[in-house]
Amino acid sequence: MTNLSFHEKSAIGTLIATWIIGIFYFHSAWELWQAGQLHPASNFGLAAGLTVLLVIVLVAYHILIAVTGKPEEEDERDRLIAWRAGRIGGFVLGFGVVGIVVQILIGGMLDDPLAGSPVLIANALMALVFIATIVELVLTLVFYRRGI
Amino acid sequence: MGGSNLDNGVRALRDQRDHMTQQALAEAVGVSRQTIIAIEQGRYSPSLEVALKIARAFGEPVERVFWFSE
Repeated sequence: MTNLSFHEKSAIGTLIATWIIGIFYFHSAWELWQAGQLHPASNFGLAAGLTVLLVIVLVAYHILIAVTGKPEEEDERDRLIAWRAGRIGGFVLGFGVVGIVVQILIGGMLDDPLAGSPVLIANALMALVFIATIVELVLTLVFYRRGI
Repeated sequence: MGGSNLDNGVRALRDQRDHMTQQALAEAVGVSRQTIIAIEQGRYSPSLEVALKIARAFGEPVERVFWFSE
């Protein structure tokens, strides 16, 4: 990791932590759903708890990489990579939101009770944010390694 | 190479300047060492501002540092 910039190390750690905690969240939510116990309160508790955990892990990780290697100031290449990866992640998020809205409306027209489920809608949005974040972080690393 | 057809002589010019380090050039230009590495390896085409700063650091006209490859 010595030849990596602070921003690359940051992206790697954020990707790994987000992936592990995200998968754990969706696995737990699925288990609760299967057991018929995924209610708004339990879902909120699970999401809030894991979000706090993710923040703590990321703060600790960033302190560690800042202590072990002097962070460089962000330069034009870092900004260009962040902008391009963020733009594509934003497209994923935008198209996903439209897809979820369409699903809700079609479900409503067909009287599907799941279409109005706050827990399902919340998790669909959480999944979308998760996917868009992963796409953005993976592209960030690809742009750093392969070039931009 | 990120879709660019720009070549450069940054590495050769560093070697000609008593093996100026990537870190020294990065500090002279105001970018990270990793950005200098990416430029030398053709993975990043810098902005006009950074290209001019690199040329100035070597005391060369910019076209002797960066040029279009065929």
